[in-house]
Amino acid sequence: MKALEVKVSFAYGEKEVLRGVEFTAERGELLAIIGPNGAGKSTLLKCLVGILRPRGHVIFDGRNLLELKPKDRAKLITYVPQSSFPEFAFTIEEFVELGTYATRGDVTEALKRVGLWERRREQITALSGGEYQLALIARALAQGSEVVLLDEPTSHLDINHALEIMELLKEMSRERLVIAVLHDLNLALRYADRLILLKDGEKYWEGKPENLKPETIEEVYGVKAKIAEVDGHRVILPELAKV
Amino acid sequence: MPMKKWLPTLLALSLIVGFLGVYIGSVSLSPSEVTASVVYGVKSALSEVFSFINPGERPKAFIIVWELRLPRVLLAYLVGLSLASAGVASQALFRNPLADPYIIGVSAGAGIGAALGAIYAPAHMGTFALISAVLSVLVVYTVSRVDGHVPVDTLLLAGIAYGFLASAVTWYLIISQGEKAHITWMWLMGTFNGSSWGDVGEMFIVALLGVGFLVWKWRELNLILFGEESIALGLDVHLYRKLFIGAIALLTAFAVSTAGIIGFIGLVSPHIMRLLLGPNHRSLTPASALFGGVLLVFADLLARTVAKPTELPVGIITALMGAPFFLYLLMKHKRGELYS
Repeated sequence: MKALEVKVSFAYGEKEVLRGVEFTAERGELLAIIGPNGAGKSTLLKCLVGILRPRGHVIFDGRNLLELKPKDRAKLITYVPQSSFPEFAFTIEEFVELGTYATRGDVTEALKRVGLWERRREQITALSGGEYQLALIARALAQGSEVVLLDEPTSHLDINHALEIMELLKEMSRERLVIAVLHDLNLALRYADRLILLKDGEKYWEGKPENLKPETIEEVYGVKAKIAEVDGHRVILPELAKV
Repeated sequence: MPMKKWLPTLLALSLIVGFLGVYIGSVSLSPSEVTASVVYGVKSALSEVFSFINPGERPKAFIIVWELRLPRVLLAYLVGLSLASAGVASQALFRNPLADPYIIGVSAGAGIGAALGAIYAPAHMGTFALISAVLSVLVVYTVSRVDGHVPVDTLLLAGIAYGFLASAVTWYLIISQGEKAHITWMWLMGTFNGSSWGDVGEMFIVALLGVGFLVWKWRELNLILFGEESIALGLDVHLYRKLFIGAIALLTAFAVSTAGIIGFIGLVSPHIMRLLLGPNHRSLTPASALFGGVLLVFADLLARTVAKPTELPVGIITALMGAPFFLYLLMKHKRGELYS
């Protein structure tokens, strides 16, 4: 039995957004969820963490997370939302402390881990996009949950900060399960242990990055793509011409 | 830069305005007369329980101090505490710096009740207003419910729409009262004239429960700022929305039914404290509450002294003081920074 076993469906009113998306995952994995806009990636994360109420089950270590109270669920799983502009002038430390509501985790260690300890008294509203993303991740680390979900943690970030975040996620995944929605296929290929490809609310493909084929990308995204190898990394080269 | 000694500062301010509120009035009293009256009042209250306490001779100023000014000052303070902490909770709940504690239908409902009370039972306007305020919150709340949850945007819109409807009804009732319309008017503008120890006792219990709950739940108020996302941090957001709506309704409905519709305290006090202390509800809620009490006692002091011997409705004073100050804040701080 795997640590996490998922099978969920979800509809906004009449509109089916997720149709029986099923997968399993293990501690120590960095799992990337990829797919075109509107495929249901963000909805899937929100279902896993209980922000939305899906049909089906999300079983972690034998317990159905969907049946737990928010406080008990937060001890096991957490979620880093898509970074937007921070609205409230909490200090970095106060902000990270919010993660300890359910768990009484270690704020100091979380701040040191992402490199914001020295700046803990500054206000989050003064942070750049990349720094705010780090603060969000520190909040999740302080929560100490064994499963960390992240919704597009590298969007809005320059290459340097995006790589920094991906390295951090890779390191975090050594002792827990990290599941990230990623738009950048090259970052997904380079860092993820496994990919789950969603299309129109269904799981279209699942596998290791080295097994992803150009045809699959074409079928899902509707663009021609080549996969090249540069210094041992596989790199996707999409072509603008529509199929 | 959070202010460090907010608690002793605000407690000292409370004592100062409290003393001024009892000391200053249409009849001039000396500090010693005030002190003697308070001591006598406390002693005679205790002597009813402990027969060995002898209150001694009754000071001349006793009636003014003990029966008129002291309950009035205490009531204003308690109503200020209640409105300001309900304001903090509303702004967190709606994630909106302009949220007023009245927005969920309390003041609109109280207006109808007061106007009806003025027509059918002028002695019980407060009770009418209380019942009508609570019913109005229930209407707004029920309309906003979706699948057992309360989306705050819907609640906000329902509150505003209901407010228009209710004020149309209130206006009609006021107009139909003809010459007696001023009774409703004066009541709606808010006053602490005629405050009794009974009112103080009632408001004390309400404030203890409501303000106490909001001060205690500072972590939950911090988290609810982040909306549905806070579920991932472990907050039962749907439960706490209901609890906070309940606390806001309790505090404002009783505040309005005892003192009329007093505006701006619920908006201005949290804003000033947020500028000084930051958004953390650990200090923001108690500080805003205490400052709300200070502001309202001060406003009431002005209400009964600036146009002596005529007494102005305290709602006029809070609006006259609050609105320009609020505009000043808006000009000084960019919109984005105001909530910060």
